Amino acid sequence: MKFAIALFSPPHAPSSRRALRFAQAAIAGGHEIVRLFFYQDAVHSASGYVVNAQDELDVPREWREFVQTHQLDGVVCIAAALRRGVLNTEEAERYARTAANLQGPWELSGLGQLHEAVQMADRLICFGGP
Amino acid sequence: MSTLHVLSHSPFGDNRLSSCLRLLSSRDALLLCGDAVYALQAGTAQRQALELMPEVISLYALDEDVQARHLTPPERLNLIDYPGFVALSCQYDKVNTWL
Amino acid sequence: MSQSLLIISRQSPWSGPSAREALDIALAGGAFDLPIGLLFLDDGVFQLSHAQQPVQLQQKDLSANLKALPMFGVEALYVSARSLEERGLHEQPLPLAAECLDDTQLSALIDRYDQVITL
Repeated sequence: MKFAIALFSPPHAPSSRRALRFAQAAIAGGHEIVRLFFYQDAVHSASGYVVNAQDELDVPREWREFVQTHQLDGVVCIAAALRRGVLNTEEAERYARTAANLQGPWELSGLGQLHEAVQMADRLICFGGP
Repeated sequence: MSTLHVLSHSPFGDNRLSSCLRLLSSRDALLLCGDAVYALQAGTAQRQALELMPEVISLYALDEDVQARHLTPPERLNLIDYPGFVALSCQYDKVNTWL
Repeated sequence: MSQSLLIISRQSPWSGPSAREALDIALAGGAFDLPIGLLFLDDGVFQLSHAQQPVQLQQKDLSANLKALPMFGVEALYVSARSLEERGLHEQPLPLAAECLDDTQLSALIDRYDQVITL
């Protein structure tokens, strides 16, 4: 089965962890994830600037490692990200901000990527809220 | 087509559960996760509403959320883990998460 | 054949960017010529009430985005009759050409679409 997974919640929301565990189970079960699309407050789940206490779950780090390990297509909605202060180097330069908090493996792109993922996948699975 | 409806908000401060229950059709199923599993709390109107759902509508909950909250589930509830969640997503034609 | 997508918008226009971002998903889908449906449910029907004054809250006017829907090819617009009635909006004319559906019709609507996003 081909899954498109859309996340709408920030890293401290239980649904961000739930989405991650679902995605891991999907891959472990031999399924394909055609794209991860982070929208609304989920853009913070892609931020490289989240710092957690050592004994706490680090969801942004786990997402990053998961995407890298499985070489997934991880897309962060550009409009939602800019609005919430999540920028890559290119956008930080464009808007004269002092730092960029979004690095690889994430890419900033538009909502068209969500629709394309829906068309490529057999199932769209959304995670958000608490 | 069949739909797996997924809820994660507590039903005690929010109308998602009641809205969802009204829109379920006979081939659909309901999966509770996160604070939505509080709907299983014994002696509440929410639990009663779940028990009164037609038998054809399957009721699922994420085991980790039920265990974390130490809830006693009703007999008709099916507890699932993440591989089970993935399997349900394949079994139903679509997944509607009430964000 | 393209997969159809139903977007269910449940947020009031004043509860943060959620209502606008749900509309943006619909507009983007329409721009790509995809079969998109948009349903206003629960507090989402407040997006349809008349003469709102976003300027009071220094917000942009969401109704402009709503009016743009048909221009972007999003013509399958629906609203829950029950949600309108619960919120005292059932007697006003709707500001856009949306079909008013009861609960049974809403179940059938969700059934008909390939994928759903409820925001």
